[in-house]
Amino acid sequence: MTKGAATMTVRLRTLSTLAAVLATTAIAGSALAADTVKLGYQLPLTGDTAQYGQDFRKAAEIALAEFNAAGKPFKVEIVFEDSRSDAKEGTNIARKFVDDKAIVGVLGDFTSGVSMAAAQVYKEAGLPQLSQTASHPDYAKISKYQFRNIATQAQEGPYNAKWMAAKGFKNIAVIAEQTDWGQSVVGGFSDAVKANGGAVAFSEFFNRGLKDYRSLISKIERAKPDAIYTGFFYEDGAQFLRQLQQLGVKTPVYSTSAAYSPKLIELAGDAAEGVHLTSNFLPTDPAPHIQHFVDEWKARSGGAVPGQFPAQAYDAVRIMLAAVEKASPNPTREKVRDALAQTKDFPGVTGKTTFNADREAEKELVKVEVKGGAFVPVAD
Amino acid sequence: MNAFEGTLSKESGGRRWLVPALLALLVFGALPALLAGFDRGYFYQIANLALIFVLLSASMHLVTGVAGLLHLGHAAFYGVGAYTAALLTSKLGLGFTVTLPLSGVVAALLAFLVALPTMRLVSIYFAVATLAIGQMLYLVMLNWVDFTKGPNGIIVTKGFELFGVALSGRLASYYTVAVVVVLCVVAIGRLSHSYYGNALRSIREDDQCADAMGVRTVRLKMEVFTLSAFFAGVAGALWAHMTGYISPGDFKFSESILILAMVVVGGLGSLPGAIIGALLLILLPEGLRALGDFRNVMVGLVMFLSILLLPKGLLGEVSALRLVRRQLGGAWRSTGKGEGIGWR
Repeated sequence: MTKGAATMTVRLRTLSTLAAVLATTAIAGSALAADTVKLGYQLPLTGDTAQYGQDFRKAAEIALAEFNAAGKPFKVEIVFEDSRSDAKEGTNIARKFVDDKAIVGVLGDFTSGVSMAAAQVYKEAGLPQLSQTASHPDYAKISKYQFRNIATQAQEGPYNAKWMAAKGFKNIAVIAEQTDWGQSVVGGFSDAVKANGGAVAFSEFFNRGLKDYRSLISKIERAKPDAIYTGFFYEDGAQFLRQLQQLGVKTPVYSTSAAYSPKLIELAGDAAEGVHLTSNFLPTDPAPHIQHFVDEWKARSGGAVPGQFPAQAYDAVRIMLAAVEKASPNPTREKVRDALAQTKDFPGVTGKTTFNADREAEKELVKVEVKGGAFVPVAD
Repeated sequence: MNAFEGTLSKESGGRRWLVPALLALLVFGALPALLAGFDRGYFYQIANLALIFVLLSASMHLVTGVAGLLHLGHAAFYGVGAYTAALLTSKLGLGFTVTLPLSGVVAALLAFLVALPTMRLVSIYFAVATLAIGQMLYLVMLNWVDFTKGPNGIIVTKGFELFGVALSGRLASYYTVAVVVVLCVVAIGRLSHSYYGNALRSIREDDQCADAMGVRTVRLKMEVFTLSAFFAGVAGALWAHMTGYISPGDFKFSESILILAMVVVGGLGSLPGAIIGALLLILLPEGLRALGDFRNVMVGLVMFLSILLLPKGLLGEVSALRLVRRQLGGAWRSTGKGEGIGWR
């Protein structure tokens, strides 16, 4: 879709809903010229997880605008569809994308559950799917068409275990949210701790959106750990850290790249001080391509700094676009899949990305500590 | 009423079967023909999903519409059915032919067990009890990681089949779902439009009065709760084998509310209403995709307006009963003297 058409759509939407239906269908029909390649992006634009989906769309629009402005022989259009993080809608969208023969690749979904359900459709149809966040241990194993641009806990867990062992922490409490991802956090980390000769003093899962962590915290303290390793996103993380501070617990906290968001510090305030975590995206990195993304993001978000997930989405879209370009002219679903599988050392804002033989992203990780209300990279 | 009895006797011949015949023709003839004509996986998917929710909505209609018990945990029994099918497939390698009835039976058994202590509750207390049951079952699916694989969900490797013969094509899948759903809905229709259904309605209108008249209210409530769970379990098996992957998120509280909304928007106590409500709330959000972020606002608006302007639902109970009585009233055939029996 051209920029003019996009603003026109926006303007029309405010007029009346009926006019909007007609306008968007008309534009969608007319904007597709012969030299346009289509991609699908399924993501939660409404519902409980809409904040993530809205960020992904913003990141994708930045990547797409750059690609289409670069004077390539063809233009790319991304069709965004709202899944509400609902498996019903996710599979509907997957069928819809598969039906559209012009779509050669699909991005998304956000949650593993929806990504896995949709993947069953993509597997059957042979349409490559690249998720920016799906973290389920079995996601990429579904078929040769599933890729993901996220460091798995099989990679991050041992990395963090080694880091904590080097710091001299032997006895570690592990908590994580009760999701497929949380399961993989505890699994990936605990095995590595034991392999390093350490011990897991305590491990428990909590349900997402828990308001009161005090009973969990007192259980952790009863186990007298040297440090706490946590698998949470920023909303739960901020709650946990604030209640930890309120109870006066001084045990060091380590976390994963999923908690890496400016909102963590915003919500937790000084309770976030001293938290150690890994990341592969540093908005303060002076490298020009990272600063370019941060500037574009700020321009579209009222000056806010992008977090880990938008950066992953931005890179996922760019990896997909690079694969489409590699598969051109006349990209097909199969050619795009093969091009994706060959992705090696892709220079993204989340570090260099290579897809291994299992279609898992291998990423460089950076150690970060919260100091003075900001994420600061640390050497050890 | 006299004028109505007149029409009943006149139409008690061949025309009684007109509407069911037309509906059957639509579901088994026109719709699949249209689907095959378009040959779009998306349309098949939506048709199957809509049918599954028709079954869920119809099964909830039995408890909430006919017996008047506000059920806030229906999705959990849908989930129990889906998990039964998925676990039987992944652990024991059983096929759809076996998992389909077993899913219903397991969901019904579980419903029977939780019904034992709760069915003496009335009104809002019953609603809160079902809410708690729904949440408990959801949390079991989520947290009993060793058995249900918890949040990791289960990949269901087998699709639809009948005694080992795979029903894998798009059209075959549609017919599988359609046949199961239609059979179940007909059964629910027979249950709710019968003396049995009338006894349930009497509980809804005044349970103490019904008790005094010799209706065994607690036993009836348990039966209808169990039956409803059976059909929800069957719907769960359909969903599990259709999508090929299930996780607890598919069966959370918001799904119960969605099913409840279908029953209420369509018309409490009206089976055609429950069906129309399910179709509306599945098809409308898909149809409005072109509206982008506004589509959920529109769906909400349609629901709000339909409750505001049609508080009895799109096809309320009275009109639905008249329709059914005229078309399906097998037990109320005219005596030939211009008078029907029953329903007065």
